[in-house]
Amino acid sequence: MLFLRRALSKMSKFQSISTYTNVEEEYKLLPFRFSELDADKYILTNIAGEYYSLKKNKLSLLVNHSLKSDDEDYINLRAKQFLLDSQNEIALELLALKVRTRYSRLAEFTGLHIFVVSLRCDHSCPYCQVSRQSEDKAAFDMTIEIADKALDLVFCSPSQAIKIEFQGGEPLLNFELIKHIVNAAKTRNEIEKRELDFVIATTLALIDNEMLLFCKEHHIHISTSLDGPQDLHNKNRPRQGRDSYEKAIKGIELSREILGKDRVSALMTTTQDSLERVKEIIDEYLGLEFEGIFLRQLSPYGFAMKTKSFMTYDSEKWLEFYKEGINYIIELNKNGIRFQEYYASTILTKMLTCDDPGFVDLMSPSGIGIGAIVYNYNGVVYASDESRMLAEMGNDTFKLGHVLENSYEEIILSDALLNPIEESFTLSVPMCTDCAFEPFCGSDPVYHHAMSKDFVSRKPESGFCKKNMGIFKYLINLMESDPYTKKLFHRWANRI
Amino acid sequence: MREVAFESSVTSIDALKKAAYRYIDRFSLELLTKKSTYVCLLKFKSELSEEIKDQFVDDFRKEVLDQELRASINTETEQVRNLILAHAFSKTGVIKNE
Repeated sequence: MLFLRRALSKMSKFQSISTYTNVEEEYKLLPFRFSELDADKYILTNIAGEYYSLKKNKLSLLVNHSLKSDDEDYINLRAKQFLLDSQNEIALELLALKVRTRYSRLAEFTGLHIFVVSLRCDHSCPYCQVSRQSEDKAAFDMTIEIADKALDLVFCSPSQAIKIEFQGGEPLLNFELIKHIVNAAKTRNEIEKRELDFVIATTLALIDNEMLLFCKEHHIHISTSLDGPQDLHNKNRPRQGRDSYEKAIKGIELSREILGKDRVSALMTTTQDSLERVKEIIDEYLGLEFEGIFLRQLSPYGFAMKTKSFMTYDSEKWLEFYKEGINYIIELNKNGIRFQEYYASTILTKMLTCDDPGFVDLMSPSGIGIGAIVYNYNGVVYASDESRMLAEMGNDTFKLGHVLENSYEEIILSDALLNPIEESFTLSVPMCTDCAFEPFCGSDPVYHHAMSKDFVSRKPESGFCKKNMGIFKYLINLMESDPYTKKLFHRWANRI
Repeated sequence: MREVAFESSVTSIDALKKAAYRYIDRFSLELLTKKSTYVCLLKFKSELSEEIKDQFVDDFRKEVLDQELRASINTETEQVRNLILAHAFSKTGVIKNE
């Protein structure tokens, strides 16, 4: 019998059946983090910040090397470089390339330079952080000497792309200085050869033809404020004559006529009175033919804290407002009306591409100083716009120096800048370091210092964490549950 | 207060601490060791219903397991993570040889 078996075996030209059965392949885990998405799923992010949602019962299988290679999740996780087997040996190089791309902005350093040319303003908004109702130019306007020294610092930045933003108060109250800075910057740039952009952040109440012709000549972008329909805007932004809305609309029309539609944008701020009116606010932007809106939460700085405007609603209420707005915008798109929400677009770019848009609040290392820097009207240099607003409350933690007294090196290497950046770095902060949403998030040491007097705060108690985690989960759930929304969000992420 | 016990042979003290930090806004933790057991005393911030306290205890137990999984992933992927990061920044001039 044994002889017969050996003989048959020798005669056979075929491999045994066991050769063709599916042999389970060994796989190695690649670095990833996970957090709960909802009751049934975890969200996983790899080292390059790409995400994958996985049923909870599959996670331990994955980590214990028990996930079958023909499982749909296995195939997707391999494709997104969460695990390594013989079929994706290039994964390490791909991940390295994606990580390098994601952090490439860091080497560019400070791109946004904010000049506070005047603190004076014709408005008296209760939530405004810094403005002064004053005719005293000497006390609250930036001088030419300070502006020129600040320009020296601007061109010390290695960034190839430099954006100079004029803020206030109302910057148009010191328009002569704006003209000087623009001309001086352009003269210097004949040698420097940087990509130079200018923005004026204004209520537009004081804009006129002459100013706009100057803006046209120098390709200056206008960023204005529009909080919603007439009654809401005028309530939020009181000025003598109670005509802030009318002035803004007239200013938008005139600016578009002279500069072109694409050179004028608008920003809104959410107050207690806005919370029930998100659709009306969006409709206002649609009616004015804007292509999108930035639904912004009130910041806990300056007068917003003093007048308790910030305390009138919490992150949860704002999240309801935000979600209602996002749902409405998705419905608009489903009905053929192209419109987007810019905060979501910024997050989606981080979620769905290897690019980092460099939004200061959502950066780690923090974007203060290294993403944006502020030259205040009096020559004091702050790490961000929020930092100077915090200073208005007597908190000078983020004061980096003075343009007339300190060199570029002293300012950029100051402890006031390096300490908060180092301490708040999310890859070494409790909870953030394990959080799957960390690649989409930021450290925002200014917010946390304003709220809890340290650069980090306890994250379970952080309103910043609650707000952003709420948005991240909501956006992912929307994409996971509706193919149309997924397609739409990919379009927003890629600015198509 | 609730008492929750974990065998020290299967649960690390790091996982317990990290899980407790995650719920720092809901309860504080006193950690004791008794022979081969970690005893966690969960002290709740305010007067909560027994049902909610049960839920928090349950969440805490699940979070401890999550933390153990995270530790496993970190241990297994530590070398490759360093390799990827070194490779990512090797051409940027950011990393210099000592």
